Amino acid sequence: MSFIVRQIALKASGEEIVRTARVEGDTLTIGRDAACEIHLPDLAVDPRHARVRSSGGNTLTIESIANQPFEVNGRSTVRRELNLAAGAELGFGGYRLTLARDDASGLPEITVRRIEAVSESAEDRDLGTAYTLKGLLPGKRVSAWGFALLVLLSCLAWPVWSYMQFDHAKTRPAQFHGDELWSPGKLSQAHQQLGRDCQACHTQAFVAVRDNACLTCHTQDAHQHIADRPGQTAAQRLTLARGAPAGMAKFQRAVADAFNRPAGRCTDCHTEHEGSGPMPATQQRFCTDCHAAMKERLKDTKLADAGDFGTSHPVLQASLVSGFDGTTPRFTRTALGPAAREEGGLKFTHAQHLSATNGVAQMVRRRVGNFKASGALGCGDCHVADPSGTRFEPVRMETACQSCHSLTFDQIGGTFRTLRHGEPAMVVADLRAFYRSTGPARPASLGGLARRVPGDAARQSDARDYARAVHFYPARADQAIAAVFSPSGACGDCHQITRGGPAASAGFAVQPVAQSSRYFTKGWFTHDRHRQTPCAECHVGVTRSNDAREVLIPGLDGAGGCRTCHVGEGGAHIARVDHPVASTCAMCHDFHAAGGAPWAARKAETRRAPLAGADRRRVPAPAPAPRVAER
Amino acid sequence: MATLLSEPGLETGPAETAATAAATTTTAAPRRTRKISRERVSAHDGFLTHASGRWAKVGGTLALLSLGLYLFAGVSAAHFGGSWLGYSLGTIGALLIVWLTMLGMRKRAITPGRWSLKAWTSAHVYLGLALLVVGTLHSGFNFAWNVHTLAWALMLLVIASGMFGVWAYAVLPRALSDNRFDAGGAITEKQMIEALRSLDRQLHEAAQPLAPDDAALVETSLDEDPFAGSLVARVSGSYPNCATRRAARQLREARAFRPRTAGDPLDKVDSLLARKEAMLGRMRRHLKLKAWLQLWLYVHVPMTFALLAALSAHIVSVFFYW
Repeated sequence: MSFIVRQIALKASGEEIVRTARVEGDTLTIGRDAACEIHLPDLAVDPRHARVRSSGGNTLTIESIANQPFEVNGRSTVRRELNLAAGAELGFGGYRLTLARDDASGLPEITVRRIEAVSESAEDRDLGTAYTLKGLLPGKRVSAWGFALLVLLSCLAWPVWSYMQFDHAKTRPAQFHGDELWSPGKLSQAHQQLGRDCQACHTQAFVAVRDNACLTCHTQDAHQHIADRPGQTAAQRLTLARGAPAGMAKFQRAVADAFNRPAGRCTDCHTEHEGSGPMPATQQRFCTDCHAAMKERLKDTKLADAGDFGTSHPVLQASLVSGFDGTTPRFTRTALGPAAREEGGLKFTHAQHLSATNGVAQMVRRRVGNFKASGALGCGDCHVADPSGTRFEPVRMETACQSCHSLTFDQIGGTFRTLRHGEPAMVVADLRAFYRSTGPARPASLGGLARRVPGDAARQSDARDYARAVHFYPARADQAIAAVFSPSGACGDCHQITRGGPAASAGFAVQPVAQSSRYFTKGWFTHDRHRQTPCAECHVGVTRSNDAREVLIPGLDGAGGCRTCHVGEGGAHIARVDHPVASTCAMCHDFHAAGGAPWAARKAETRRAPLAGADRRRVPAPAPAPRVAER
Repeated sequence: MATLLSEPGLETGPAETAATAAATTTTAAPRRTRKISRERVSAHDGFLTHASGRWAKVGGTLALLSLGLYLFAGVSAAHFGGSWLGYSLGTIGALLIVWLTMLGMRKRAITPGRWSLKAWTSAHVYLGLALLVVGTLHSGFNFAWNVHTLAWALMLLVIASGMFGVWAYAVLPRALSDNRFDAGGAITEKQMIEALRSLDRQLHEAAQPLAPDDAALVETSLDEDPFAGSLVARVSGSYPNCATRRAARQLREARAFRPRTAGDPLDKVDSLLARKEAMLGRMRRHLKLKAWLQLWLYVHVPMTFALLAALSAHIVSVFFYW
């Protein structure tokens, strides 16, 4: 018995070299040892790995020598009977042995073939990529497209889809929508409830936010800056006032037009997405662009040019009572200054009333508890702030003056009768009635119980005198009336009295009285924001003035003037300012000219009371304050 | 010759010699002949110093101009990119990004001259750095969780990876070539793997007489793929489970208690394993340096495309919700 062993080696060209050997004997060893009949130079093979024994006939037995396994037909084993006719494939390390029967001789034939390279490094590889990171990281091309696609889908397709989904819907559900990814910043406090709904303002794609988006909600508080005039619309006038843009502004305008951003929209001034605080106040340049040199462009304007508050604001003009048309007061805007006078119709001595040393002060000291302070009268004893704290209620005779300037003329029991304020005819009638219904005091000598001088002469004289007194008593009413209306009388003390009145008021006429409820009709001033300042710091003349016609309202400059504290937007000032308050136009003026508090001041209100939820102080747009004329 | 003529003193005709001198009997000390030194002038001028940093100046000017305008143009910072300055910076930034991206196309066509690839690369680096200023000022420092900040962040990522790339290109090639040099000169990548293959063949040969246990150890070394290893291993150059090193160690441990015999095949195997380990070490250093040279591009390029996408979304969103 013998075996035929075919060793197959490969040339570099890939050609096979077959060496055939015939091994005599019944057994055959396979191993790394060169002495083995089948020598397999492979380190995974034992020096003497397996033995093949012919059991005669068609069967071969292969078994491991050192119990080291080998493969038969792909299965690991240490011993196996092999059928020569069926053939088998044996695996030892990197070698494959194929068992078959040699057709010519009929002997078992074992073909040996190396199928694995000696080492891993000997494997063929593409040196162009072996030294690169290829295979360790996703390819640059793949990840580039992947990331780009991811970003486009999430940041472009999704937002556009969410826009299209609600394009014609009235509202959007309060959940996250894709287009919120586009929001450049939080909406301001006032618009917070719109936060989720980009389409509330951005109604049309690729169309800049138009005014109708704003006016959907702002139906009440968006007013025209100026009114139309005959032959000139407000828009034309505004364009004229602004003048044609030049230079950089012209270029900016051209670019904005090219990109479909028309000028004159609400959003030009009211910018959004700038943080969740209150909307920032409109910058000064939005006003001064037109107003700083408007006279040049708008010849017929009555407005003086106004630039920075600190340096180029025109003189303040107050709406003063300049006289009366019948009983209706006539208001004239007058430049504030030492010469300004208001013909309110009253006499009043501020200095005398506020003195801490005279009779007025003495009266205050005597009547403890009736006045706010105990040493002298204070401003607040007569001037009471209105509920908003902005302005003052008109000073009323009944509440302010009458506690000292009593109109009492009679006492019945514990009840005092007073003259009726504001009704001269009734004063006359009351006085006449008083003297008609009462008599002079009856002399004691006429009583029966009095001790008398002996004789009748004295008594008759008294009786005659009394009778005369009784007869003429009603006539004393005229004297009393004349006294009341005289310059030092109860009425004349405060009012200007003239003759020429109706007979009902005994020929006396009281001049009508008017108090202005708002001096600055074109601007906004609130006492509320100036509470920490004592009155006389601004109303400096009050301790010297004994003429009610003097206007004690501070002006722009001088002692107590606005510029004592207020400087321009950028801090510009003329005189020295110790504690400057930067002031833009928007602090006092309202572009929309609604007559109420300017937007910036309203904003300050809300900031001062940042109460949450139900406690939040509502700040509606105040109705235009009526110009109250008090008589 | 051109360099000779430009040497001072040699512009006019041939140099004076004793034979041609007008006065040969001069008492003046003979003029020392000017030594013409051969200075090695390297023609190489890297992209960082190209044209004396022309693009560094351009980029620096752009950045300073943007910063100056931002600080002094008096545009309210609250206006984000919506002021004239914001739109200008945004337009410049977007054009820059598109142009910078085009290096990827441009680099595939190598041309000489003023608009050479080197000039282009130099401009890419310095204008890319200027973009950092332009893009950030365009943001007005208003950041939120939105597409606009995403675009800015991606831009930052791209620029940062690019800066790392510049550093890598400036520093690592020297280390790379140092690593390739040894007593026998420089070896190429092909030679590295060939050397390993040769060592493996020798190991295989030398290990034939070994006992099965020892042979199995050598086999693990042979079975080890020299290019195997995760990204972390490549980048760190650390291969704690190196089969070759372990095989060498275990063989030495096993031998420690065996009697020494002359012609022990283990001697040869041991020395071969040591050589293979050294070769592997060098190759791994090479792989590490190459990984560092390449890794940044795996961030730079994909992030650039993500940035282009985010930039498109940013621009579309601005006009969409105008």
